[in-house]
Amino acid sequence: MSAPTAASTSERTLTLKEVGPAKRASRPDEVVVAVSPAFSDPFTKTIVDVPHAEVIRQILAGIEEQGVHARVIKVWDTADLAAVAHTGARLSGSGISIGLLSRGTAMIHQRDLPRLSNLELFPQSPLLDAEVFRRIGSNAAQYAKGESPAPVPTRNDQMARPRWQAKAALLHLKEFECIVAGRKPVEVEPVISRA
Amino acid sequence: MTTTENRRSRRTEILEDRPVNLDGFVEEWPEKGLVAMESDFDPQPSVRVEGGRIVELDGRARADFDFMDTFIADHAIDVETAEEVNAIPSVEIARALVDPRASRDELTRIGRGLTPAKILDVVKLMNVVEIMMAMQKMRARRTPANQAHSTSAKDNPIQVAADAAEGALRGFAELETTLGVVRYAPLVAIALQVGGQVGRGGVLTQCALEEATELELGMRGITAYAETISVYGTESVFVDGDDTPWSKAFLASAYASRGIKMRFTSGTGSEVQMGNAEGRSMLYLEIRCILMAKGAGVQGLQNGSISCIGVPGAVPGGIRAVAAENLVASWMDLECASGNDQSFSHSAMRRTARLLPQMLPGTDFVCSGYSAVPNADNMFAGSNLDTEDFDDWNTIQRDLQVDGGLRHVREPEILQVREKAARALQAVFAELDLPRITDEEVEAAVYANGSGDYPERDVLEDLKGAQSVMDRGVTGLDLVKALERSGFHDVAENLLTVLRQRVSGDLLQTSAILTDDFVPLSAINDANDYGGPGSGYRLQGERWEQLKKLRHVTSAEDPETEVS
Repeated sequence: MSAPTAASTSERTLTLKEVGPAKRASRPDEVVVAVSPAFSDPFTKTIVDVPHAEVIRQILAGIEEQGVHARVIKVWDTADLAAVAHTGARLSGSGISIGLLSRGTAMIHQRDLPRLSNLELFPQSPLLDAEVFRRIGSNAAQYAKGESPAPVPTRNDQMARPRWQAKAALLHLKEFECIVAGRKPVEVEPVISRA
Repeated sequence: MTTTENRRSRRTEILEDRPVNLDGFVEEWPEKGLVAMESDFDPQPSVRVEGGRIVELDGRARADFDFMDTFIADHAIDVETAEEVNAIPSVEIARALVDPRASRDELTRIGRGLTPAKILDVVKLMNVVEIMMAMQKMRARRTPANQAHSTSAKDNPIQVAADAAEGALRGFAELETTLGVVRYAPLVAIALQVGGQVGRGGVLTQCALEEATELELGMRGITAYAETISVYGTESVFVDGDDTPWSKAFLASAYASRGIKMRFTSGTGSEVQMGNAEGRSMLYLEIRCILMAKGAGVQGLQNGSISCIGVPGAVPGGIRAVAAENLVASWMDLECASGNDQSFSHSAMRRTARLLPQMLPGTDFVCSGYSAVPNADNMFAGSNLDTEDFDDWNTIQRDLQVDGGLRHVREPEILQVREKAARALQAVFAELDLPRITDEEVEAAVYANGSGDYPERDVLEDLKGAQSVMDRGVTGLDLVKALERSGFHDVAENLLTVLRQRVSGDLLQTSAILTDDFVPLSAINDANDYGGPGSGYRLQGERWEQLKKLRHVTSAEDPETEVS
């Protein structure tokens, strides 16, 4: 695996502008994208240097190309992926969410499933690139429409451990430091700008 | 100086392209436990006993104990000797570990009374060569051995049977499998058991699964032992997995009640990886796991970081800490299946260096396990060594005159056991009314390398068959009967003899394996008696003659030919 060369995207930066408390929506044609506490600030890219701006851009594009509305929230009181994703699902009008950790680990969740279950899990963050994020967005939107898409193919790389395991642990610890206990999820407006 | 900013030297480019630079390395962060074994945040050793009870452990009063402290204080540490042995200066204990004249018995006696922080204090004084010296003396079984992974990326039972037979023939004393699709487990576990007994009677097999199913397969005699019962060094990680030391001890006793061999699994790095190291070093937490295993009364432990090896592997001194955790397990008189079982590095040189602290002194199982299938088929996510490394391993054994448990086997013998294993499994499946194994599949098994070399199975039919094995209550004895009825009398006899061990309970002894003659070899009848040069296990005699053989050796008698 190689880190994507981000020449075309390196100048894009992501700001998550706080809009207000994240509320449960009633429109059934939406997917909530729930990001973890350190997403976009202080971290700016995934474990393999995919810029967070690109991650959000691709996920939103994947959702919108299915004609579904997307809403982004930031979860503050946990960095546990299942909890982040399930928080999003409970606020989502369709009951479908995408949970995202700063290092890139992702999950598609549904409100009615137990928290530790999920619709699709992408545990190996080093193997997630722009294309996979777009497909995750697209699949989540299809679930929101009540369809049953074929799961996004998961990849496996036995050499991911020697290369990434320790960095993943480090990123996990750093993300934990950004948790604000008791703070409720916040709706944010993703602003992607060119630096 | 006329260097330009963007230009790199040719040499830098070459170094940049070396495989080792694909590995990940991180700085230490001791406050969070991202540190191997030298941390200011680990507790200082202390112990106080009142009224036959430990009331203070490593600076913590009993009132402040977490459940690990309580379990270790109440079940792992010998209160009779605790105050006496903890008062011995750490440097004296460390030197005794290295000194061949200090007996293993005396050191295990001292070890029984030590606290986790005291044990850490001792091994922190030892460099990696001293750790190996101590391991040579402290491992429980005199004769070293090795364990293999035998899995299939397609969960193909025929592949597992053939590779199990070859692995057993090459010398692995234990074979371990696991699944991609968990529901395949009964068929693959049967294949491992049958194939293993074809390769060499007396090989022990296990199937790593969630704990309830793993126990059930063991109780039914479809597997012979269990290993993947994980324990952790902090209360928070334990609780995260809905477990406690007591629940793990209860599970251990369930195996013991049926005479089934089992060991726990733990390793440096797991707690920090899960973000709950509570500010302790990886080795300190692993020592708590080792004492927890001891307190639970299990005979052994698989440790050496295991699936978290990328974490200690990325910090300074991490592989020294891994060698130290193996040593502590042996010192605490537990069987030690010492890791080297997960993909560790892109660099062949670094993979070998990581292996030597276990291979050179010898451990109960140098690898736990060695991938006896190509790593692409390894469903434990890849091992530090695989089938492509067989000849390198055999050559290192021969170069250094060290017994790593394997041997070179000539191809005709390998092909023969592979075919017999596939035929035996074909017969067992037919007898048990399981999905048919074709002659084409048997032939593929003889010559195959990996799962891609076999005809596709009808997975849905196999899964139905697997379910019926569970529903019908098929046991190890049913496998024996099926083998006997279909003319595989010797294989049936082998399997029955392995099953009988659970009645005698001999495999519950520390570090037990079975020889080709079905004699249990354990710390009881094959106790490590290393006492310096000229003592202990020596690679010599018939075994050394075996290990002199390689694929290509020029004949001294007729240099125009090769012997193998």
